[in-house]
Order: sequence, then C-alpha cells, then structure tokens
Amino acid sequence: MDEAKSEKPKISEVTSIISHQLKTPLAGIKSSLEVLLSGDLGELDPPQREYVALALDSSEKMIALVKNLLETSKIDEDRLELKRQKTNITALIDAVVSELAQFAQAKNTKIDVEIGADLPELTVDPVKIHEVIENIVMNAIRYSKGKGSVKLTLKRDGDRVIFSCRDTGVGISDEDRKKIFSKFYRSPRVMTLAPEGSGLGLYISKAIIEKSGGAVWFESADGSGTTFYFSLPIQ
Amino acid sequence: MDDKKKILIIEDDKFLLKLYSDKLIREGFNVSMAITGEEGLSKVVQEKPDLVLLDIILPQKNGFEILSALKLNPGLQHIPVIVLTNLGQESDIKTGMDLGAADYLVKTDFSITKLPEVVRKYLALAAKT
Repeated sequence: MDEAKSEKPKISEVTSIISHQLKTPLAGIKSSLEVLLSGDLGELDPPQREYVALALDSSEKMIALVKNLLETSKIDEDRLELKRQKTNITALIDAVVSELAQFAQAKNTKIDVEIGADLPELTVDPVKIHEVIENIVMNAIRYSKGKGSVKLTLKRDGDRVIFSCRDTGVGISDEDRKKIFSKFYRSPRVMTLAPEGSGLGLYISKAIIEKSGGAVWFESADGSGTTFYFSLPIQ
Repeated sequence: MDDKKKILIIEDDKFLLKLYSDKLIREGFNVSMAITGEEGLSKVVQEKPDLVLLDIILPQKNGFEILSALKLNPGLQHIPVIVLTNLGQESDIKTGMDLGAADYLVKTDFSITKLPEVVRKYLALAAKT
C-alpha cells in the first residue's frame, strides 16, 4: 500500500493550505502599493497613481477571493465559526448601503431602505451577517440593467426578522434556480453582464444564515428582477 | 519622543519585514529586526525595545510562545506587543489577546499606512501605565 496515496488530502484541506500561503505575498503586494500611493517614496504623477490604484484594487480583490476560498473550505468541513453578540441589523444595513454607495452610483442604481417598527437586537455574528447583506446587495447592484433600483426591507414576522432585497435586474432563469446557491456556480447570463465574481457569495451567505438558525430564499420572474430574502430567529 | 523609541519587528517574511521596517524608519522610529522566533525572543531580552511587532507563524519558536514568555517575565511584561499576522481565526485572536497582546491585527485587512499611528497609540498607552 502506497502510504502517500492513502493519505491524499481533501480538496478543502488543499484549498485551505494554498489560501494561507497566498495571504503573505498578497499582504506584501498590497502594503507596497499602499506605500507607493501614499506618496511616502515620492509623489506619483496622475497616470502613475492610476496604475498603482488599479493594481491595489486588484490585490484587494485577490485577498477577498482568498478569504472566500478559506471560508468555503471551513463550511465544507463544518468548521464555520460564529462570534455571536447582540446586534442591531438596521445598523448593518445602513453600513452596507453607505459602503456600496459609490458602486451603486457607478452602476446608476438607486438604493432605498425601509425598516419596520419593533425590531429587536438579534444574537448573531455581526461581521458574518454584514458579509451576507453585502453579498446580496452587491449582487443586486451588479446584475442591474441600465438604470436600476434596489429596495431593502427589514421587518418582524412573529419570532423572526426577515430581510429582503428586491432588484430590477435580469432575474433568475428556471435553469439557474436549483444551482444559484451552489459553490462556484455562475449563471451564463450574468457572466456577460458582470464577469467578475467567484460564485461563492451566495454559497457562503446561505451557510452563514443557516448556521445562525435562519433560512435564505428568493423569488424571481425571469427577466424582471429578483427578491432575495433571509430570516433570522429572535431569541 | 517618537524618534528615540525602539521598535522590534519579529517577522520571517523578508518582503514584509522590509516594508514594515522602512515605514517605521521613515516615521523616525529606531527599528530592530528578527526573522526567527528564537532570535526575536533573545532580542527582546537583550534590547528591551519600547514595543514589539510580532508575527505568529515563525521558525523555531512561534509568536504565541514568544508572547507568553514575554508576559511571564516581570522585566519585560510591560512592553506592548502588537500581533501582526495572517492567522485571523477567532480562536487565534482570542489566544493572542488572552496571552496579553496589546492589539491583534490581520495583515491582509490592515493598511500599512496606519502602522505608525497604531504604534504611537500603544507607546502612548504604555507610557501612562
């Protein structure tokens, strides 16, 4: 028996190891570009600044991808950690809207928020729930067509709170319905609309919400927008 | 005065070590460097820096062992230690903070442009105690 073969590591383990190994050189690339951009080593002229800023943006995208890969391998091995604490979900929605305001403006998309009354704080991991809201709202903006609009709501429904995100985007085809939460899945129609994206956001979001005791679902009519929902329990 | 403060950086990645040390030197700090855990610990003992910037995954002795040894030594336990690592799991952060780190920063999430500000903050806090 070949011992090396019998001890073949799982894909999630390999992903985890490679992702960790990538983090150090990526931190070096990001830091050196930040130093250049800060003017510490001499002021850059506008075209130089533009190139360095683009490279920095790419390094940050690579870091985000590595983090998603690491999180995915944790989910696959049931090692996802939640640091639960009393959390104001409305504040998380406001933070995401303000962080994505520039992106929404660039995509000519308007974001409206409607928060219901009588919303208690929830015992969840604020960093992870922020990540879920960001993933869903980012998708809604990214897959908008032309002048888009995104409507976010948060309301109480008995012993749970429901978040919704309605967009005026391309909608989800019947073929995509079953695959939308699958790891690495990217719909062929969104690939032409927005080629960036790893196909991990919804997979990770679903795992976080389910681990938090909630559920994720969507409603969509092909070609006329989608509404994503998640629920979280009130403890 | 900042320009007299000595910062020891314990980091095994030479690219990052150069970036962090160059940045702090440009800001007027006196910088000492170590690329292994053992070298780092012996430099803390010999040089008694004003602050230590500590990586966790290091050859010979890891950062948690160094932090633990330092905080158990009455002559060194007052030195603020900022952990700067890529180990970002909640359990790692808890270990670092429980062992007495002044702060725990994840390299890929942290902007090097903020490094002097963070170092000054913990130097100022240490000066008050």
